[in-house]
Amino acid sequence: MLTDLIGTVAGAILVGVFGILVALFLMGVDRIVTARMQARIGPPLSQPLTDIRKLFMKENVVPANAIPWLFNLAPVVALASAITILLYIPVGGFAPVLSGGGDLVLVMYLLTLPALALVAGGFSSGSPYATVGAQREMVTMIAYEFPLAIVIITIAWKLAVSGIPLPFMLASVQANPVWGLVGPLGIIGVLILFFVLLIVIPAELSRIPFDTPEAETELAGGVLVEYSGKNLALFTLTQGVKTVVMASLVVALFIPYRLSALLPAPVILQPVLDLLFYLVLVVLVAFVAVSLIRVSMARFRINQVVSVYWIYLSLIGIAGLLLVMADHFLRVV
Amino acid sequence: MNGDTTKKSTPYTVPIGPVHPALKEPVMFTFQMEGEVVRSVDFAPGNTHRGIEWMGMRRNPVQIVHLTDRICGICGIVHSLSFARAVEQIAEIEVPPRADYIRTILHELERMQSHILWAGVAAHELGFDSLLFLAWRVREQSMDLIENLTGNRVNYGIVQIGGVRRDISDDQRPVIEQGLAYYRGLLDQMKTVFLDDSTIRMRCRGHGLLSYRDAQLLCAVGPTARASGVAMDIRHDYPYCAYGDFDVHPVLPPQEFGGPMGDVYDRIIVRLLEIAQSIDIIQQCLDNLPAGEILWEKKLPKLLSILKKAQGEAIGRVEAPRGECMHYVRMDGNEAPATWKVKASSYSNLMSWIPMLKGEQLADVPIIVASIDPCMSCTDRVTIIRNGSAADLTKEELTRLSREKTRRLSRC
Amino acid sequence: MVRLPMMPELLRQLFKKPATNAFPARYLPPSVTKFLQKVAQGEAVINPPVPVPPGFRGKITYDRESCIGCQLCLKVCPAHAIEFLPTTKRVRIYVAQCVFCSQCNDICPKDCLHMTPEFLLACEDRFAESQIVE
Repeated sequence: MLTDLIGTVAGAILVGVFGILVALFLMGVDRIVTARMQARIGPPLSQPLTDIRKLFMKENVVPANAIPWLFNLAPVVALASAITILLYIPVGGFAPVLSGGGDLVLVMYLLTLPALALVAGGFSSGSPYATVGAQREMVTMIAYEFPLAIVIITIAWKLAVSGIPLPFMLASVQANPVWGLVGPLGIIGVLILFFVLLIVIPAELSRIPFDTPEAETELAGGVLVEYSGKNLALFTLTQGVKTVVMASLVVALFIPYRLSALLPAPVILQPVLDLLFYLVLVVLVAFVAVSLIRVSMARFRINQVVSVYWIYLSLIGIAGLLLVMADHFLRVV
Repeated sequence: MNGDTTKKSTPYTVPIGPVHPALKEPVMFTFQMEGEVVRSVDFAPGNTHRGIEWMGMRRNPVQIVHLTDRICGICGIVHSLSFARAVEQIAEIEVPPRADYIRTILHELERMQSHILWAGVAAHELGFDSLLFLAWRVREQSMDLIENLTGNRVNYGIVQIGGVRRDISDDQRPVIEQGLAYYRGLLDQMKTVFLDDSTIRMRCRGHGLLSYRDAQLLCAVGPTARASGVAMDIRHDYPYCAYGDFDVHPVLPPQEFGGPMGDVYDRIIVRLLEIAQSIDIIQQCLDNLPAGEILWEKKLPKLLSILKKAQGEAIGRVEAPRGECMHYVRMDGNEAPATWKVKASSYSNLMSWIPMLKGEQLADVPIIVASIDPCMSCTDRVTIIRNGSAADLTKEELTRLSREKTRRLSRC
Repeated sequence: MVRLPMMPELLRQLFKKPATNAFPARYLPPSVTKFLQKVAQGEAVINPPVPVPPGFRGKITYDRESCIGCQLCLKVCPAHAIEFLPTTKRVRIYVAQCVFCSQCNDICPKDCLHMTPEFLLACEDRFAESQIVE
C-alpha cells in the first residue's frame, strides 16, 4: 500500500516534470515551424524556457480592483489541473500513472478545469478586456465540448460493441487501436473523427482561429491582459502542458502504436524507442493542429466559433459516428 | 446558438486606446457595448499633435518641403508634392514635364507600397499574421525601388519646389521594369490569398458598412469613398503632374465581386485593384518619359530669393493612397509662409467610423478601424490643452475660433 | 466550400530559405555591445546588412579645407543641424539632428559636403565624437 502510494507520487512528479519539459519543447518547435512557414528564422528552441525564466523574475502585479486570492489562485489551479490530466493519459509510450483510477469521461471533465481557472482568473482581474475575454472563453468551452464528446463516445462505443472490456479506459483504447476494429467504411468514419479532434485542439488551446478569448488585436490579451510575472508564466506553462495533453490524447485515441512492437530491439532500448516515436507523433499532431491551422487562417468571431463547432463540426462528427455505426452493423449482418 | 447575444447584460463601456494593439496610432475610442455588440461609439483624436505647421511657419519653403516628408511616415511624396504644388502656384513656377513624370512614377510607387502595407496591417488585425509577413515581404521590393530612385526608403526628400531632385537614369530603367514585372506576377497571387480565403471573407463581407449616401454626407475620400461606390479620384477629377496625359479612372469594386457594397471586403478589393492600376501608370510614365530638365531653377540660392518675393495663396491637392490630401499655403513676401495648413486624407475619413462601427461586434472593431487606413499622425493638427490637461471644445466655441482665425488670415 | 489558399503557400515556404537577413547575427546576442567588441577582436563574425544602393544618403562628410564659410547650408537645413562657428568661420554638423535630406550638399558652392553610405549611426550620446562632424 505504502509503496504504491510512493510509486504514484514519484510517478506524478516524474510525469509533471516530463510534461513541462515536453511542453517547452513543443512550444519551441511550434515557434520555429511557424516562423519558417512565414519566411522568418524564428527564435532558438530554448526560447520558451528563456521566456518562462524571465517571467518568473518579473514583478507579479495584482491590479487594484482585482480579487487577489482568486486572481493568484487561478494560474496555480490551471497548471495543477493540466498536469493532473497528464496522469490519466498514456505519455511517452508508458501506461498512465493513475491507470487504475480514471477513464476518458474523467479526462473530458478534467479538460475543462484549466479553462475554468482561466475564466475565474479573467473575471477576478477586474478589467473590461479580461471580462469580455472570460465570457468568450466560456462560450468557446461550451462550443467545442460537443464535437469532442462525439469523438470520444464513438470510439468507446466501437470498443464496447467489439467486446472489449472497460471501453472507456484509456488503457483499453491504447491496447486496441480502433483502426483494426473497423471495416473500410468505418475507416472513413474514424478518419473524419480524427479530423474533428484535430480541429477541436486549437479551441481547447485558445489558438488562432479560435483564440477569441485572448484576441491580441481586439482585447489585448483578453483573459490574460492583467496577468504578469509568475502568474503569467504559470498560465503560459498551462497552455504548453495542455498542448501535450491534447496531442497525447490524439495519439492515444488514434495512433496508439509502439515502435518497439514493430521493430525488434533490445529490451533496454525499447522504452527509448517508444519515447522517441511518441515525441515524433506528438510533434506531428501539434504541427497540424496547432501550427499549421494557426498560420493559415484569420481569427473567427465568437459567434462564428460557436457555429463552426455546433453546426459544422458536430455534423461532420455525427457523420463519422454514423459511418462507424453503419460499418459495424453491415459487418455484423 | 449565438451564445453571446443570448446573454442579456446591461450596456457597459469598453475603452480602446489611446494605446492599444488594435490601433497602430494613438486615438481614443469609447464603446458602449451590449454583450459583444457595439451600441454607440465616440472617438477623440489629438494624441499625436507635433506642431509641424508651427515649425513650418518659421522656415522657408525649401526647408518645409523636407519637413512635409515627415508629416507621414508612409506618404512622403504626397505631402511634399502637395505643398510644392501650392508654392509653385503662388510663385508661378512651371514644373518641367520630365519632373512631372518622375513625380508621378514615385507617387504611384508610394501608393503601391502604402496599399501593400495596409493589406498586411489589415491581415494582422484579422489575426492572420502569415499574410502580414507575406505582404510586408513583398512590399520590400517597392521600398528598395524607391530607395534606389530617391536615396532613402522613407523620407525620400526627392521633391523640390519646381521639380525633383534626382533624375531617373538609363541604368535605373531596367530596375524599375524588373520591379514592375515582379508585382505583375504577384498580383494574381495577392488577389487569391486575400479574396479567395474563406476566413477573410467570413470576417469582412458585409461588415463595416458605409453606404453611398453616408460616404457622401461625411465627405469620405479615397478608397474608403470608392469602396462605397463614390467615383472620386483627384487624379481623374483634377489631373495634376502627368495624370492628365493618361486615362486614370477611379477604381470601384467591380460587379464580379457583388458591386460596391461599402464593406471592409470592398475596401480590400479597391486597394488591390489600385495596385494594378499603379503598375499600369508607372509603365506608361516610363514609356513616355519626356527628355529635358528636372528642375525649374537649378540654383538653390536663386530659388530661395524668388520664393522670398512670392505673394499670394494657393491650395495643393493630391490623391494620396488614403484619399485627397490638401495643403493650403499663404505667402506674403517673407521667407517663411504666413499660413500653412495641412489637411491629411484621414481627416475626412475619420467620421465614417461612426456609422461603420455601429451595430458591429467588438471582434470587428480592429479591422473596421483599420479599413479606412487611418493615419493619426498626419491628421492631428490640433490639441486643446486647458489648465494643463486635454479639454473638449463645444461646437459654438469651435465655430467662434474658426471665424476668428479666418478673419485673421484674410486681414494679412 | 472552405478555401484556404495560404495553406499550400505556407507548406511550400516551410522548405524554402527564410527571407530574414540575419543582421547582425542569427539570434540576438545577449549584449550587442559585447558582440560588437568581439567582432572587433575577430572572435565573432558579423552578418552584413542589406547593401545600400548607389546614391544612398547616409552620414554626412565635411571637407573643412575647401569650405569658405558662406553659411548657405544653414539657410536650407530643415532641421537646424548645422551650426556656424564664427571664430573659425567653419560649420559644425550634429548628425543626431541631421535628417539626411542632403539639401546642404546641393547648395554648397564649394562642394565640400557629401553623403556617405554609412548608416549604422545609433548611439547613446548625441554629442559623442561619431555624432558630430566638423
